[in-house]
Amino acid sequence: MPSLLLEIGCEELPASACREAEAQLRDRWLPELGGGSVYVGPRRLAVLVAEIAEHEPDRWVQGPPEHLRETAARGFARKQGVSEEELEVRDGFLGVVVPGRRITEALPEQLAAIVEGLGFGKSMVWEPEGLRFSRPVRWLCAKLGKETIEFEAGGLRAGHLTYGHRFTGGEVEVVKSDDYLETLRAAGVEPEQDERRRQISEGLDAIGGWRDPAGVLDEVVYLVESPIVLEGRFDERFLSLPPRVVETAMQSHQRYFPLDGARFAFVANGGEAKVVIAGNERVLEGRLEDAHFTFERDAANGIEALAEELGSITFVAGAGSLADKAARLQELVAELGGGEASREAARLAKADQAAELVREFPDLEGHIGAEYARLAGFPEAVCAAIEEQYLPDSADGPLPGTEPGRVVAAAEKIDNLTVSFALGQRPTGSRDPHGLRRAAIGLCRIAVEGGLAIDVGSLVRRDLGLLVEQQAEVADDPADVADFVFERLEGVLAVPVEFIRAARAGGVTELGAVAELAETLAAEASSEDFDRAYVAFDRSNRLAGKADGAAGALDPSLATDEAEVALISALGRASPRIEAAVAERDFAGAIAAAAELGAPVDRFFDEVLVMVEDERVRANRLRLLLDVRDAVGALGDLSQIPR
Amino acid sequence: MSALNFQEMIARLEDYWADDGCVLMQPYHTEVGAGTFNPATFLRCLGPEPWKAAYVEPSIRPTDGRYGENPFRFQHYYQYQVILKPAPEDVLDRYFRSLEAVGIDLEKHDVRLVEDDWEGPTLGAWGLGWEVWVDGMEVTQFTYFQQLGGLELDIVPAEITYGLERLAMFLQDKRTAFDLEWAPGVTWGDVYRENERQWSTYNFEAAPVDVLARRFGEHEAECRDLIALGLALPAYDQVLKCSHAFNLLDARGAISVTERASYIGRVRKLARVVAELYVESVAQPAA
Repeated sequence: MPSLLLEIGCEELPASACREAEAQLRDRWLPELGGGSVYVGPRRLAVLVAEIAEHEPDRWVQGPPEHLRETAARGFARKQGVSEEELEVRDGFLGVVVPGRRITEALPEQLAAIVEGLGFGKSMVWEPEGLRFSRPVRWLCAKLGKETIEFEAGGLRAGHLTYGHRFTGGEVEVVKSDDYLETLRAAGVEPEQDERRRQISEGLDAIGGWRDPAGVLDEVVYLVESPIVLEGRFDERFLSLPPRVVETAMQSHQRYFPLDGARFAFVANGGEAKVVIAGNERVLEGRLEDAHFTFERDAANGIEALAEELGSITFVAGAGSLADKAARLQELVAELGGGEASREAARLAKADQAAELVREFPDLEGHIGAEYARLAGFPEAVCAAIEEQYLPDSADGPLPGTEPGRVVAAAEKIDNLTVSFALGQRPTGSRDPHGLRRAAIGLCRIAVEGGLAIDVGSLVRRDLGLLVEQQAEVADDPADVADFVFERLEGVLAVPVEFIRAARAGGVTELGAVAELAETLAAEASSEDFDRAYVAFDRSNRLAGKADGAAGALDPSLATDEAEVALISALGRASPRIEAAVAERDFAGAIAAAAELGAPVDRFFDEVLVMVEDERVRANRLRLLLDVRDAVGALGDLSQIPR
Repeated sequence: MSALNFQEMIARLEDYWADDGCVLMQPYHTEVGAGTFNPATFLRCLGPEPWKAAYVEPSIRPTDGRYGENPFRFQHYYQYQVILKPAPEDVLDRYFRSLEAVGIDLEKHDVRLVEDDWEGPTLGAWGLGWEVWVDGMEVTQFTYFQQLGGLELDIVPAEITYGLERLAMFLQDKRTAFDLEWAPGVTWGDVYRENERQWSTYNFEAAPVDVLARRFGEHEAECRDLIALGLALPAYDQVLKCSHAFNLLDARGAISVTERASYIGRVRKLARVVAELYVESVAQPAA
């Protein structure tokens, strides 16, 4: 059988729609048609099936169960248009094999289903009751070898025509399906996305030294049908702008590729190179001129003057201005143990929110503030911390590289969490407009990977106190910020959540220490030491944890049994060792110390009856068990850990 | 062919779209942020009646002013607005031919349609389309409206909005709008620089905040009264006046982030009710 071509001709599709269609054609429709290739570009979505089967696959139509043959077979056979003798039996059911239609009969329906079945995240209509698509569909071309397949979809009749490059290609005939690629190439279109990517990369490599920090290449592949890689220049005076401003001006809107010096590369879809380069140079210079103008105005103000404007900029309604926020950050960095550089950075961290340039380049907040701090001659440690305050900005993005940066970044996240929770704006389900999950993950990583001591609970309390002093409209107690943050540790550590829950109840409160304890518990969970420590915790907790009437303090003189005396003395030895090891974050050492209580606890349970008649003895024994539980409990609530 | 000056370029567009069958309208008499707000677009695009119109619209955007000091930012500039309802199948070709009409050789330049989804929150409106680039310069926004005033559109119109200064800068090879030749011997700057300076001062410094806030409320109330009287067209003017008062308050920095959403919501609500009234009372299919 010959090959099959279906081309859906569109007005210019967004790159994201191209990728959506590509995935659906490849994963859903191609297998159904028998395999082949998908070609996707801004003006066309196409599938080319190298060899299409002559018939559709046969279809099994299941009828009544075999034991009802007497009563039901005849009716079923008649309905299927076959004789009773032709019925077959499969898995206890009667049925009939319906041979697949000839492919030429089946295709019109199948192709229409493809056109009408593609779905897009964002779609539109252009005719009443018409097709829903990413952008209007303007033609359909369908060929089976030399034959044109006649079908209708979305109000369009399929034909044998396609269209080349929008301005140079015009209408062209696809004589037979196999000619598709050559026909389009002759009409100025490269239909194959991978080939366009190759051509673009090759063109960029030929120029050399290109960068693509924002990753626009993946998009550009779907923005052109006839890629031409060109190189432009801009006035060197713009190199005095912060380099990332220049880079963002190139990439974010224009999708240019920065080169060394005052140069850039870009991908055109046609035109005369000289003319197109001159035009693009003028556009970029316009954008840079605009940025330069804004930058100069900001710089003339200076970062201190910008910081003074923060009082008139609302941070979040109900939580005061950005000046209020800066005041809180300064207190929080002190609480986090930050030094002079952190405090200075916290004071200036939000100053760039008053800068015009940040309004133009919102993604460069922090960076622009840092640049303005550099211009004002602040020490590099301060500038770096301003720059790094929003890091990490994704779940696996880089952490702040400097200590002051980590301190300011942690304070920034604590404050965002506290404010949102205090205003009653907790994230729910998929709604997390303030990016609080990301902030919580960031905090965890700054503690775990960055080694900064972060006591979430006490920082949140401090921040809440500041908010109240500032007369913020506090609606809720934000104490559950700590729970919210600790829940995020699970993903950060790759440790089952039970160990994190267990560790949180232990003798450490600082985020990094809890994380380390959870990791140690998880790593030791199958060791003998852990097993013994667990037994000590679990047996004493099970009996004494729920019982009433434990004594307020242990009285060793009430101990009568040998096993009881032995446990008291083991506890006396182990308890300070556990405590000291936990304080030094030597959690494996603490487990080893706690393990020494395992055997005495077992012996105690074997030999001693706790619930005796004598109330004082009973109360004292319950107290002993609670003391054992609490000593081992410096390692956390081990009952959370599944055994 | 030497480049067209500003007024010649406008005349060329007028001729082109008149030939295409458009009603040539004139700018609206109330401040609007974009040609979309002109009732010749917003109201006429509602309902089942076909409509083709083209007009110049001054775009008044108080926050964009820079006292005439920045060569790229203005609080007052011009759009050329074309509405084709319903959007003809060859609407893009018609648009591209209009570029040729003002002197752009489509084979010599890199003309591209780049995804741009439009949303007008105060009008409860959205559509999908593109910004049109010529050699990287955005000269037009092209939108297939899907919703206006919160109403799904039965007939999908195409809106073509040329940024006249940008288009002219491209044609005349000028780096700033101030240097554009408006008419022989007269530049855009001659005509508008002082305008930018004074209006920027007004927008950012002098516009009376309490008066504007009060007026917003008055226009809103009047809009409701007019709706009750079934007067969709005058009611719509009050929506525009609310919108402009909001824009000025915004430029004066008198609106916090939360208030902002609430102001926008109030305008949108009015726009929706006016749109519904207009559809019920005016935009009926011809008998």
